[in-house]
Amino acid sequence: MVHNHKPTCKDVMNHICDNLGEDLDSPKCTEIKNHLEQCDTCQKYHKSIEITIQSYKTYEVKITDDAHKNLMDFLGLEDCE
Amino acid sequence: MEEKELIKKAQEGDRNALAKLVKQYEQTVYNFAFKICRDKERAEHTMQETFLSMVKSIKQFSGKSKLSTWLYTVVSNHCLMMARSNKKHLHTSLDDEDALIDEKSITDWNVSPEKLAENGELNEILKEAINKLPPDYRVVFMLRDVQGFSTEETGEATNLSVPAVKSRLHRARAFLRNELNNTFSYGT
Repeated sequence: MVHNHKPTCKDVMNHICDNLGEDLDSPKCTEIKNHLEQCDTCQKYHKSIEITIQSYKTYEVKITDDAHKNLMDFLGLEDCE
Repeated sequence: MEEKELIKKAQEGDRNALAKLVKQYEQTVYNFAFKICRDKERAEHTMQETFLSMVKSIKQFSGKSKLSTWLYTVVSNHCLMMARSNKKHLHTSLDDEDALIDEKSITDWNVSPEKLAENGELNEILKEAINKLPPDYRVVFMLRDVQGFSTEETGEATNLSVPAVKSRLHRARAFLRNELNNTFSYGT
């Protein structure tokens, strides 16, 4: 897709949300990367999206002993402990 | 014993191998189910139904995909099905795409999630934020960004097209980022 205008911060932020983790080799992506390298606001936004994802990766809810026991009972595997 | 060997033994009717597979994945499945089903009871119920499906169909498991991928898909479908049958919970509308990104709200996030997690408050904030997302957005975000599915795999697991996955992911990321903005901006 050919763009006649330079990307705005909003374009870059949308692009970050759309394509984080994707292959970024298209001409549009090159323009976005150039903008990102020079724009403090977009760098902050990019960082905040990455921290958001990282937060959910590290957020862990532990299974309780009761939930484990209930599961093994439910499956009829309680004798395999 | 390696997973492939455990699966083979379970397929041959070895109950101990089956129990080992359950124990190997119960934490992962529970953790994932809790985040997308929204509470402890639903997560436990979903975990039980997911492993029941595994026990019933382990003989048909071909091994083409990872067992974990298959389990995440079952959890996702189960939670989405429960959410569709219980429409009482009101979710935030994400239709107004322009409102999701407000350039004035961009601040520097200086604190690491690990540091915030130390005081135990972060988990509650993360839970509240993700609970506000509509279920299909929540599932897409969790599969794609947290579990590391590709866009295509996420689409297959949720019966959504690739553009629909991208659109939901885009909005979910922007929404969650906004929800966490106060915490991370002022958490230092």
